[in-house]
Amino acid sequence: MKNHRSILLTLALLPMLASAQERYATRSGLISFFSETPVENIEAHNRKVSSVLDVTSGAFQFAVVIKSFEFEKALMQEHFNENYMESNTYPKADFKGTVEGFGSAQLATPGEHKVTVSGDLTIHGVTQKVSHPGTITVAKDGTFKAVSDFIIKPEDHGIKIPGVVRKNIAEEITVKVRMDYAKM
Amino acid sequence: MRIKTIIAVGAVVAVVAGVFAWREYSRGHKDTASREVAQTITAGDLLAAFRADEAAATARFVGTSEQVIAVSGIIREMGQEADGRWNVTLETGEDPGVECEFTAVPTQWTTGTQVTVKGICTGMDDLFGHILMQRCVAAE
Repeated sequence: MKNHRSILLTLALLPMLASAQERYATRSGLISFFSETPVENIEAHNRKVSSVLDVTSGAFQFAVVIKSFEFEKALMQEHFNENYMESNTYPKADFKGTVEGFGSAQLATPGEHKVTVSGDLTIHGVTQKVSHPGTITVAKDGTFKAVSDFIIKPEDHGIKIPGVVRKNIAEEITVKVRMDYAKM
Repeated sequence: MRIKTIIAVGAVVAVVAGVFAWREYSRGHKDTASREVAQTITAGDLLAAFRADEAAATARFVGTSEQVIAVSGIIREMGQEADGRWNVTLETGEDPGVECEFTAVPTQWTTGTQVTVKGICTGMDDLFGHILMQRCVAAE
């Protein structure tokens, strides 16, 4: 009887174990953003983005600490945190969703794979449904690099730009995501 | 004569204000090594503080405006990224560590070395629970 229970328990856990083996992650992903206007160009980089991707289900999650964005100019970084992102009130951003076009078959095939990532992007406490194209490049050692460039509008996330600096900050911000995943 | 004086004073004020504004606009980040330490704590206690009450720990160690904290601990792992930056993880006694980013690390540092790090704490990562530190330097 005990043996039967053990077998049943093992059978029940097998899918979870198999799923766990397909999880890939990074703790040092890069997200950069760029604002280009005739007045000035602004860019910032966050090299401490964490992400987990379950290749079996396609589910992924990104976690971003807003104060980890670094600007070349200290004043820009202060304004970004204090005036626009209000990072003391909204210290994190995240992106949860699924990736289409990438699974176990693609993982087993080194090279470039076109994908679409869709899900809930939460910035400044405001969640928006988004869908963006991307590319996942699988290396021969089984690790892979995910790349996606897309546009976000500050106003879509309730970020107010004061009129006095309206011409300094683009209405559309280019976001670049570069993630190197390895097996967990 | 009086108008000329007013114009001259106004011009000087404008130039001084312009120079101040430009310097403030183009100001870089302060050197971490020369800044005063606002908080001193061990890596294990820092993680424990964030786990116990993240909001309170964020207020204390991240602060409403940027501050430098000193964190001591044993190096669990360290490695250099492709862009030349170093990531040093301090042991906490738990799975999540304190992750410190450096532009350069002392040559004698290796896994197991007891160190004290000065840096800017930016918060706790939601997925892995690590505590993140930037612009780090070795405390003397």
